[in-house]
Amino acid sequence: MVLDDLGGSLRETLRSMRGQGRLDEDDIEAIVKDIQRSLLKADVDLDIVMELSERIRTRGLDEEPPAGTSAHDHLLKIVYEEMVELIGESTVLPLEPQVILLAGLQGSGKTTTSAKIAWWFDRKGLPSAVIQTDTFRPGAYEQSKEMAERAGVEFFGDPDAEDPVEIATAGLDATAEAEVRIIDTAGRHALEEDLIDEMEAIEEAVDPDVNLLVLDAAIGHGAKEQAREFEDTIGIDGVVITKLDGTAKGGGALTAVAETDSSIAFLGTGETVKDIERFEPSGFISRLLGMGDLQQLAERVERAMAESDADPEDWDPESIFEGDFTLIDMRHQLEAMQNMGPLDQVMDLIPGLGSNLKDQLPDEAMDVTDERLMRYRIVMDSMTDDELRNPSDIGASQIERIARGSGTDEEVVRELLQQHRMMEQTLNQFRGMGEGDMQRMMKRLQQHGGGGLGPF
Amino acid sequence: MFERLSKSLKSFQQDVDEQVEEPEVAEEDDGPSLAKRAKSYATGRVIIDEEAIEGSLTELEHALLQADVEINVAEEIIEAVRSEVVGEAVSITKSPGVVAVRAIRDALVEVMGVGQFDVEERFAELPRPTTVLFTGVNGVGKTTTIAKFAHYLEGQGYSVVLANGDTYRAGATEQLQEHGDALDIRVISHDQGGDPAAVIYDAKEYARANDVDFVLADTAGRLHTSHDLMAQLEKIDRVVEPELTLFVDEAVAGQDAINRAREFNEAAEIDGTVLTKADADTSGGAAISIARVTGKPILFLGTGQTYSDLERFDPEVLVDRLLG
Repeated sequence: MVLDDLGGSLRETLRSMRGQGRLDEDDIEAIVKDIQRSLLKADVDLDIVMELSERIRTRGLDEEPPAGTSAHDHLLKIVYEEMVELIGESTVLPLEPQVILLAGLQGSGKTTTSAKIAWWFDRKGLPSAVIQTDTFRPGAYEQSKEMAERAGVEFFGDPDAEDPVEIATAGLDATAEAEVRIIDTAGRHALEEDLIDEMEAIEEAVDPDVNLLVLDAAIGHGAKEQAREFEDTIGIDGVVITKLDGTAKGGGALTAVAETDSSIAFLGTGETVKDIERFEPSGFISRLLGMGDLQQLAERVERAMAESDADPEDWDPESIFEGDFTLIDMRHQLEAMQNMGPLDQVMDLIPGLGSNLKDQLPDEAMDVTDERLMRYRIVMDSMTDDELRNPSDIGASQIERIARGSGTDEEVVRELLQQHRMMEQTLNQFRGMGEGDMQRMMKRLQQHGGGGLGPF
Repeated sequence: MFERLSKSLKSFQQDVDEQVEEPEVAEEDDGPSLAKRAKSYATGRVIIDEEAIEGSLTELEHALLQADVEINVAEEIIEAVRSEVVGEAVSITKSPGVVAVRAIRDALVEVMGVGQFDVEERFAELPRPTTVLFTGVNGVGKTTTIAKFAHYLEGQGYSVVLANGDTYRAGATEQLQEHGDALDIRVISHDQGGDPAAVIYDAKEYARANDVDFVLADTAGRLHTSHDLMAQLEKIDRVVEPELTLFVDEAVAGQDAINRAREFNEAAEIDGTVLTKADADTSGGAAISIARVTGKPILFLGTGQTYSDLERFDPEVLVDRLLG
């Protein structure tokens, strides 16, 4: 994901210096060069790159590592701190009633983002609404309406109206009961004067609490100019980076953040309304430095667990820490995992696993793995309740029947049983470590370092 | 496009002139330089040496990066300029800066001019009905480009039908249909979730039955990292067998332009690229990167929100404007 390349290359340079007690000028220069190249490849503005590398260079040479800290760790800390400084804290978004206005270039993903943000607040217990004011782009109304439906949030729009300002004010009246209102606007760029004027008029009429600039992760140096224009016109409080599930690194957004003196609010990571993450700077940088992102993983796992909770069978995720780990538990695990999103995205978040392991897998391995999970679920649907509860009792004739019943072959059934045994073993290692505290569990996973996904 | 790079190139020319004519001479080490100068006077020529222009080349590379030229492509261009210019003997009556800028011009024209062909002639020659498939990532402006293209082809006297191969995105059918209504052009579409190849196939059948010249086929935006959707694109390409495949990307794209262009070209080989939102952009490096990585020409620029905002991309004119 974001800045992946930087992570990889930087990790390598740092690793080569691990044993050294002191870093000389050449060592530091090598690291700075790596950082420069990676940031430039990530579309970070040249001036910012030069400033950042100058600070790392100076601090690396000037500062003595504190006693007991190796030069390597110390430099890692400097790089980390300077990156945090560059990327900034995430935008403050209190969980309270508010009006959020979205702005950005054509095709940056505002409409999808508006539904995602509404979904996000809605999930946090704040009934939300999307107000669609794009009267220009054909199909915008229909797209927005459908995305709002998928997000399960209120929608307001008027396909026959022509004035975005009128729609916005009417929309605020119509959605007065919703606590968070997201106003989507037509795409526009810095050089379209009349559209920039229109943006200003919308902002004046609705007086939003938060203005977010939506930027495609792939945007280049143009981000600077665009961000400055939107900042001058309506003032930008935060940036949303979209399409981060591609290979673009989102460095343009960092430029925008610097230019608007704001911060990053959300990350868009896919096409469904759930593919949104709150930006977490420390986690973001931990991931970048190959330390994994514990916080986000925990959030995802908890959310996914909460969804499985709603299951009519009333399954308690924490029950896996007590008694036997059955195939029923395993099925819930798999469902929870699929709720978390594509496996490769989940793996990015797992400490010590992310890019290292992914680099070693062939490109399609992740898709195949998703498919396999699907097959397992089909196989389990063909088992009796007794078999699901006592998988170790399943014999050859049962395997034959299950394979036939599920339209798979016996190999798949055996593979599933084998997988179950493995998960059971891994799980035993986690038992008795506190009442389902995911964070601690994940830390434990990190210490076991790349020892496999375990039950997750 | 290229406004900023254009400015950088002017200062590059001056830099080179200054550096080559007044090489920095360390006080205690004026031997070789003296000899060089003496030689220059004797022959009436100066040799552009690598050290003298190194700083200018670094500046140039930064300028290319700031113009969003992909980093490896920028390095290639710098290398081309370096090998062309270094060691070159320039008459002292000429400006070494001019020589260097000419080398840049050649390098840029070579990259951007790759595979250019006469579009109108090609359109006239292709078998009818001619299917043109538009591919690209989400939000680059494929549908808008198709509407502009339809308008352009009708202006050339061709008849057109639109095929909505984006059966995924909410609002896609309505978007294309509204363009169809505005342009008075027939749109073939199926229900959301249908098979995109089938829609385009139907549109071809329609075109064949009604003597329509061009089928312009839209596809759902997809990120090149999605294996499923890229496999689907391969299938569409195989089943539909388009006469022409155009990759659509935006001029504001940065370093990543090269990745997606490569992946799309591999999934469904392209014949050229349309760069959209060129009116929003002041850098233009995406044109250089995409042409370089695909080896296919940039054919059109999208320059605004009305149907007539589609311009033919002319690398020579652009480069000349760039070097103003």
